[in-house]
Amino acid sequence: MDLENAYDKIYRYAYFRLKNQELAEDITQETFLRFISSYGNLQEYDMRYLYSIAKNLCIDEYRRVKPDPLPEEDEARAAQNIGSTEETAIVRVALSKLPVEDQELLLLRHVNGESVGTIGKALGLSRFAVYRRLKDAEEALRKGLEVSGS
Amino acid sequence: MKKQLEKLLAEAYAAPEPKKKQAFLMNLKPREVSLPEMLWQQAAYVRWPVWLFAICMMAFAIGGSILHLEDTERIVTVLMPFTAAISVLETNRSTRFGMSEIEMATRFSLRSVLFARMTILGILYAVMLCVSAPMLAYAFGGKLLLTATRILIPYLSTMILSLIAERSALGRKTGYSSAAIAALISLVTFWISQEQSQKFMVLRYTTLLENWGILIVLVLLLLTILEQQKTIRQVEAFA
Amino acid sequence: MKLAVDRITKQYKNKIAVDRISFSLSEGVTGLLGANGAGKTTLLRMMAGILEPTGGEITADDIPVQTENYRALLGYLPQDFGYYPEFTARDFVRYVAALKGIEKKKAWKKTDELLELVGLSEVANKKIRTFSGGMKQRVGIAQALVNDPKILILDEPTAGLDPKERVRFRNLIAEVGKNTIVLFSTHIVSDVEHIASHLLMMRDGQIIYDGKWDESQGDLEKFYMEEFE
Repeated sequence: MDLENAYDKIYRYAYFRLKNQELAEDITQETFLRFISSYGNLQEYDMRYLYSIAKNLCIDEYRRVKPDPLPEEDEARAAQNIGSTEETAIVRVALSKLPVEDQELLLLRHVNGESVGTIGKALGLSRFAVYRRLKDAEEALRKGLEVSGS
Repeated sequence: MKKQLEKLLAEAYAAPEPKKKQAFLMNLKPREVSLPEMLWQQAAYVRWPVWLFAICMMAFAIGGSILHLEDTERIVTVLMPFTAAISVLETNRSTRFGMSEIEMATRFSLRSVLFARMTILGILYAVMLCVSAPMLAYAFGGKLLLTATRILIPYLSTMILSLIAERSALGRKTGYSSAAIAALISLVTFWISQEQSQKFMVLRYTTLLENWGILIVLVLLLLTILEQQKTIRQVEAFA
Repeated sequence: MKLAVDRITKQYKNKIAVDRISFSLSEGVTGLLGANGAGKTTLLRMMAGILEPTGGEITADDIPVQTENYRALLGYLPQDFGYYPEFTARDFVRYVAALKGIEKKKAWKKTDELLELVGLSEVANKKIRTFSGGMKQRVGIAQALVNDPKILILDEPTAGLDPKERVRFRNLIAEVGKNTIVLFSTHIVSDVEHIASHLLMMRDGQIIYDGKWDESQGDLEKFYMEEFE
């Protein structure tokens, strides 16, 4: 897997957390820089550590800007016409009803395509816990979609 | 999970195109510089007079051989010390011109820069020798090994002495010690190669070379390598 | 990033040039103030990885000073430096870029940007030997910045600069210091006063002051004189 791919994944993750293009990109870059300063280089970068660095940075950032609640939707995304179909909108609504931890798991597993093991290491959970929660999250999403009548 | 739902999820989670990705990634990748690349890079910074001198020497050897100019071999032999001096001076340019500190603080240590320069010049003169010696030997009916040793001995002797001189405090101060050594060795070589000088010597030079030439060259080569190592090691730096 | 100097010592035969110095630096501009012979240059040369300490350690976020990874982060301007006689300003910066392993196309672009930044783009193709001391110094600053260093070590960078160049230099360093660890030595108090937020003072191989500096603390010149009385 190449670096660019890793960048996309971390960026997507940060964007999911912060819903702000600029912040997400800054966090992504900071994540890589922190990784380099701890491990010397990116020759053998490790998604697990990248995610966990990114997660902490996002949490810090979230705390910092908390008084001003994050927007549900970022203008940049709207402007680029991303995910604007009706179906996507329904999925998005269903997702937004889930706890953020579930959303996070679904993103990592089904969009970024990480293995259960990687996710566990990144989030500090056991494989088993990831597996179980993921099942629950998938179930909850399915239910949510049924409710919205698709 | 169904493929279709995964696709919808991907869209739902999609983020706007990142703007600074390429610039960032370009900066990020610490580029590995391979040895051949580094040699090539340093070769680009070897000054043109060095190449020119080597090429002229080679052209002279080839031309002289083809035209059967009588003294070609002797002239080549007598000029060899200057080739050596030039290569030592070229290697030591960093300290001579005060660039060493800046060079040392780059990705490569100054030692590897020195090593690269020595290698490049070594290859250059090896090529020169490999072309000139057979030409000369063929043209003037000498033995190839004899011709090669005749050319190499003054060259290597100058290398050794110049490397020692350039490292010494005096050598670094004057800056011309290599040239002086080259001139001296050149004179000695000239004298030795004169027919009338032979009567002052216990053994004819040619006889000496025929019997011991290869051994002498090997010893000198070994000494040259040792002195080059010392020069590289003398650079005060890490690793 | 954190640049940590831990009990660093340099001892020559019968003289201790740097005596068990420890301090740490983060992003921002730090001035290293001290009289000639205080050991500033020895300290900076060890921090630039070109002089081996007798003892102690220097690391940047745990990357040791003697590694290539450290040097990849480094920009360094020595106190005295020369240049190959045939070099133009552009050749010089490109040469250093090549040694820093920067890919050619990028190196050329960066070189021109930096020469512009230090105000030498008009004379980029002129031989350095035709330059004034201040112009040569600016070439030196440009070469130090060519790899976008995270650690920038400058030994007496303002030496030979005229007042106008000095102002330009201060602005440049203030800008670079926003996301880079900048450490520069000087014996001119006003250099430090204007751009450094962190101050180190050195005397006889030891750090005698390590702390913040801002103008509210009064007159640095006076403070400096008092410390050195």
